[in-house]
Amino acid sequence: MTEANRTRVLPGLPPQVRRVREPVVAIGVLALLALLPLLFSGYVIYILPQYMLFGVLAMSLALLWGFCGMLSFGQAGFFALGAYTMGLCVQHAGAVGVNAAYLALVISMAAGTAIASAVGYFLFSAGVRDSYFVIVTLALSIIAEQIAVGQSQITGGWNGMFIPRMELSLWRWKFPLDSDASIYYVIVVFVAATYFFLRWITRAKFGKVLAGIRENEDRVLSLGFKVPLYKTATFAISAGLACMAGALYGTHAAFVAPSLAGVLFSTEVVVWVAIAGRSSLLAALLGGIVVSSISNALSAITPQYWQLVLGVLFVLTVAFFRGGIAGAVHRFAAHRGG
Amino acid sequence: MGHGAMLTLGAYLMWATTKMGVAFVLAALISALGVGLVGLLLEHIVIRHFYGEPLETLLLTWGFFLITTELIKIVFGTDLREVVNPLPGSFELGTVRFPVYRSLVALFAVVLIVAAALVFYKTRIGIRIRALMQNAEVASLLGLNIQLTYKFVFVTGSFMAGLAGALISPMLSVDPYIGNIFLVRSFFAVTVGGVGQLLGGTLAGSFLVGGMETVFALVSSQVVAQTIVFALAIVILRFRPQGVVTSR
Repeated sequence: MTEANRTRVLPGLPPQVRRVREPVVAIGVLALLALLPLLFSGYVIYILPQYMLFGVLAMSLALLWGFCGMLSFGQAGFFALGAYTMGLCVQHAGAVGVNAAYLALVISMAAGTAIASAVGYFLFSAGVRDSYFVIVTLALSIIAEQIAVGQSQITGGWNGMFIPRMELSLWRWKFPLDSDASIYYVIVVFVAATYFFLRWITRAKFGKVLAGIRENEDRVLSLGFKVPLYKTATFAISAGLACMAGALYGTHAAFVAPSLAGVLFSTEVVVWVAIAGRSSLLAALLGGIVVSSISNALSAITPQYWQLVLGVLFVLTVAFFRGGIAGAVHRFAAHRGG
Repeated sequence: MGHGAMLTLGAYLMWATTKMGVAFVLAALISALGVGLVGLLLEHIVIRHFYGEPLETLLLTWGFFLITTELIKIVFGTDLREVVNPLPGSFELGTVRFPVYRSLVALFAVVLIVAAALVFYKTRIGIRIRALMQNAEVASLLGLNIQLTYKFVFVTGSFMAGLAGALISPMLSVDPYIGNIFLVRSFFAVTVGGVGQLLGGTLAGSFLVGGMETVFALVSSQVVAQTIVFALAIVILRFRPQGVVTSR
């Protein structure tokens, strides 16, 4: 069958839409990201991995918000926790004999998961939900920022902390990631792994229970599911991923400051995810990448007006297009498909 | 969530009006009315369509917060502003010195809370609000105009946040972010005290949150104090979600 035949619309039949499935688009996007270093070099390749990690942060929020109906204003706190962990490990763990950066990735994920599990189970087992959960995560984010500022002998306070770039190692083999392209590929692999991991768990039975909790928590509870455990697990996974992304961000940016944990950055993540579409992982990823790229480009020109536009877009999205851009695309496709 | 921005806005309006030479009390009133007007517009244009969806309302007011903060930055700039303290100096009571202005504001705040509680518990509008909180559907069936009541509550809330911002402005330097920290504090004060416990709850909550912060700040740093208080508030939220003060 030729290409022309396949796409031809038969008369009398409803127009056939070739449903482009999300993973196909995702693989396309990831492949495009993987090819970029061959086409570009310099600043674009340097800065893009940071935005991809913001995209991972956005996906971690989408898992919570879009799939389980829990909104967190504290994701940036976990992101910063990861970055600081990376910094501390690289500074102090040289003596252990293993690659400090690997250690940092494991510790940061464990720390994020542990904190989120503890706080999450503590709250969810008592039925704390909705707005109260938002406020608690907001407070977590403020606490993280305050600690980063206050414990300046450890974190460097307002001055921030410098972090050496990590290196890959496997027994004797060592590979420093000093060049922009090399760490770019490490992060692309991380982004791809995160995306497919999250896609897997959201489509598994686990994800179906989460959707149930989102739609009607009381009913899922009365069906016998241990809702607090599911919510805790989701929060823990989300926090662990945010922490790992933060650790990679730390080693890539080579610098971390308290504002990374702040409320403003936390809510920026919420804005990306809301505009891009809260119930699609790919949209969240792209939202994180695209919006932060645009922010960077425009903040040189009109920093204030761009933030204003973003705020207005955010309100419009929440008020009128709850699914965000992804929701609109989905509806458009469904409309055309009949 | 928008109340942080309301407070900031109140403080800036205060700065602008006192700068124009308006007397302090009048300026505070103008600022509060201005913020109340903003609240009215916000409620009428956006918020009233989203009652019954708390998470969306929260997001919308947060969006309002972002927009207002940016607008304030564009109009007023990001540099610190000072509002002149109208009553400098202090008086002594025994061995303790009290700054005049702070004491007066504290007194006024208590009076305001008591007045709000009186309105809430002793007047017709108060009983309407309480009916709305208990069961909006039944209240509307009994002939209560819920839209109007919600609007009244929202505008009053904005007015008070604006007033708080105006009154607090001489105590600190005004910058576009002063609302942030007060937002979380006030949220916790309300949660700790108990939602709907206007008199006892608000007073107990504010004293607990504010008082503990001051006490802990004496023995350790300000930062640690704030962290401990937030952590404690989370614990209270877990074990007494209905608040410390409960009726019945």
